[in-house]
Amino acid sequence: MEEVIGILDPQEIALAEKCLETALDKGAQKVRITLNKSLMDLFGTLNGELDKVSHCLDRSMGVSLFADGRFGSFSTNRLAEEDLELFLDRSLATVRMLAEDSFRDLPDPGRTAKDAVTGKELDLVDGSYARLTSGERLRIAMDAAIFKAHEGEDLISEEGEYSDSIADTLILDSNGTRCRHTETSFEYGVETTIRDSSGNRYSGFWWDASTRLRDLDSGICGETALSRARAQVGPRIIPGGEYNMVVDSEKASRLVTPLLNALNAYSLQQKNSFLLDTLGKEVFPQFLTIMDRPREAGRSGSRLFDSEGVATQETPIIENGVVKEYFVNTYMSRKMGIAPTVEDAGRPVVLPCISGGGPVQGILDRKGIMGLVGDGILVTDFNGGNSNPATGDFSFGIEGFLFKDGAIVHPVREMLITGNLKDLWNNLIAAGNDSRRCMSKLIPTLAFSNVSFSS
Amino acid sequence: MGYGKEHYLGLFRVTEDQLARLVKEGLDGGGSYCDLFFEYSTYSELLLRDGIVSSGGFHIDYGVGIRVLKGERTGYAYSESTDRKSMHEAVVAASKIAASSATSKPEWFTKTPCLREPGRGQYATEWSWRDSDAKVFVPVMESLQKRISEKDPRAAKIIVSLSGQASDILMYNSFGELTFDTRPMGTLAATVVFIKDGRIEYKTVSRSFRTGTGMLTDSLVEEISDEAVSGIDDRFAAKRPKGGKMPVVMGAGASGILLHEAMGHAFEADFNRKGQSVFSGKIGSKVCDESISIVDDGTIPGNRGSIVYDDEGIPAQKTYMVKEGILTSYLHDRISASFYGVAPTGNGRRESFRYAPIPRMRATYMESGKAGKEDIIASVKKGIYVDQFSNGQVQIGEGDFTFFVKSGYLIENGRLTAPVKDINIIGNGPQALADIVAVGNDLKIDPGAWTCGKGQSCPVSCGIPTVLVSNLTVGGV
Repeated sequence: MEEVIGILDPQEIALAEKCLETALDKGAQKVRITLNKSLMDLFGTLNGELDKVSHCLDRSMGVSLFADGRFGSFSTNRLAEEDLELFLDRSLATVRMLAEDSFRDLPDPGRTAKDAVTGKELDLVDGSYARLTSGERLRIAMDAAIFKAHEGEDLISEEGEYSDSIADTLILDSNGTRCRHTETSFEYGVETTIRDSSGNRYSGFWWDASTRLRDLDSGICGETALSRARAQVGPRIIPGGEYNMVVDSEKASRLVTPLLNALNAYSLQQKNSFLLDTLGKEVFPQFLTIMDRPREAGRSGSRLFDSEGVATQETPIIENGVVKEYFVNTYMSRKMGIAPTVEDAGRPVVLPCISGGGPVQGILDRKGIMGLVGDGILVTDFNGGNSNPATGDFSFGIEGFLFKDGAIVHPVREMLITGNLKDLWNNLIAAGNDSRRCMSKLIPTLAFSNVSFSS
Repeated sequence: MGYGKEHYLGLFRVTEDQLARLVKEGLDGGGSYCDLFFEYSTYSELLLRDGIVSSGGFHIDYGVGIRVLKGERTGYAYSESTDRKSMHEAVVAASKIAASSATSKPEWFTKTPCLREPGRGQYATEWSWRDSDAKVFVPVMESLQKRISEKDPRAAKIIVSLSGQASDILMYNSFGELTFDTRPMGTLAATVVFIKDGRIEYKTVSRSFRTGTGMLTDSLVEEISDEAVSGIDDRFAAKRPKGGKMPVVMGAGASGILLHEAMGHAFEADFNRKGQSVFSGKIGSKVCDESISIVDDGTIPGNRGSIVYDDEGIPAQKTYMVKEGILTSYLHDRISASFYGVAPTGNGRRESFRYAPIPRMRATYMESGKAGKEDIIASVKKGIYVDQFSNGQVQIGEGDFTFFVKSGYLIENGRLTAPVKDINIIGNGPQALADIVAVGNDLKIDPGAWTCGKGQSCPVSCGIPTVLVSNLTVGGV
């Protein structure tokens, strides 16, 4: 296998080091530099023909300055030395106009990652990336298109995109922190639109992604998107009321993200969180455990450090229903007088579980969970909506299907779910073990009881 | 006064001859059109939290996006440097589209007739955000925080944010058109957490304009602080209504999100060109009552969605999508205009030089009708009145939309009664249009910081007069 190292070159790294030293020379007491570089190629198809090609190279330098008890955050993509000199002068002048804030500081050097030296430690770089040619990228995009195979059928539009990228990040600070992360990514996504016999249009989307090209399953995306579009034909409006709800693993993270946001110290400090004062308390069902597993090698979303360079670790976020983790960066730790952790969940994982049952045996996927639940509504997508961060009250539009005896009956339309996130999670029936490997939040199919649907 | 072309050519370190050579290189491989989009943007931001402005910064973004079209197909690349070598590499990457295999689509790209004279007065560029510093802004932010605290002692936490942007843009294309512009944007916002008897509510108010620092007036601070504390008693008292289908009165202003989500996106010509929109093939059709006209307008002075030129160099204009109930125009970029054989409407927009332009909205609103607001409310026996919104979403093909209502009131026997909050309204765009049975005489363009996402972000605004939709689904208890 060909050796691929990060795409930051020695001159760029030397420039970052010099920028750090220059900022200190100009009067900053502490400095953090974040250097990012990424390269992305995209080939898009429309109805089986090449529609767009793009090639993108990005470089930027972020500079966090701590000067005279003050703090500011700056960035630029003009990396010529003379431009950086002016940039630093202006940045420092801006910092000195701000109010003093004694809680601002770099993280304790003892907390920063020491095992992210080359950027390759997490095994997220595919050696074949460097050998990929434009012709091969075009072939992947064209081979994945299905429009011509369905010519004359109900398919009226197919829009597909293959893209790959390599991203390289280096964090340096004046306490000696030095962390690097390098990752390749390969992705294919496709949206299909069909027209039924009455002229109504329905669309379906599917995608796959991987850090390795050989694991990208672009070939199934078109047919999956098409079947998802066709499954929506003939939706019916059904009466509102309380139903069991099964949420497809593709979209289940929508119900987890508000929990993670509510556990972030920025929300807690501003009292804009429905999980205020819950650390160490049992506020969810005893059988629910959500872990943070950011250090699994070779897996999308893994990372050894956060944006401050603080080392990540495997840790329970919610364990047996008890809140075990607030996400607290250095600033919020000092401001709130609580122990620092990491700034957010790196790679949250909902562990499989069944209400009142023991450990989940074998595969528990969407079909298995629908069978377990019996009757209800399967949610395959959320259409807008929001949740109130202070109260946890939510209202989401949904798309999905009525199911009975574990089998889909027909699609439903114009339905909403409403409720409170704490109540919803306390009505959890089961979590499967079918989370998609391509996602950074590993949330499986979820089932809840007594969910209020409006129609 | 704006800058002359020398300012922009100097800023990007290019000459007109170089621009001409670059687009020629772009077409050498057989492309039918090439354009260049140079951008130098600076963003400054300040944050007041816990009573002090202790966080801030600025960000610089510089580069050139190069697009080569082969018929309807797009090759796109960008460079963060405008030196000759970097731009040449980007041109070569973008022009690969022309070298790809034959297609069944037309290989030509037509220059359709369009305006060349810019609209005047869309925004003032004096008092640039670039030339001012935190010393000027901090007192404004502190004043806003102080006024909110004084007006409502339940305001337990206040965050005030201020951002200012200035973008210098230079465009050149293979038709030989050279266009340049400097675009300002300022946004002042307050998020307030209120605590009453141990219960928590929050409210965010923002004002965003395409203008320089001159927007930071005492009256603006007063306006935001007034709005931040208004209706908080109702918000604490508000409950979710019983859900179901009911008449919905959309309050003037922010209810324009209904137009943006439910109709505006489906009128964007790329979705129609690809056959994906529920309005595909319906130009000239009656889509709603003849009392209704829906506009997308890039010419409102100072408006967040306004532009002198779009990001393809087409002058901004006022575009009627629906005129007296008839679907009259989609929103076009150059590609869709060529496809349909019409003039571009000035809707080719992009987030930055990193993105190719696509049809995007500007300020989308419904023109005023004849009914009075009170008469519209009085005509509803049992329904809901909604006036504050956050996000919304639409499915282009089906036309189904959802938007989230932060506050409103029940309507009982023609009167506003109990406050409601945190509900969704869901419906179908064409059906909702057809179900509009009254249009008020009180059009209001909402001045908030609306941003539209369509794979890339664009600042927009929306507006509507008071409107009665006879039948929408309201998510409740």
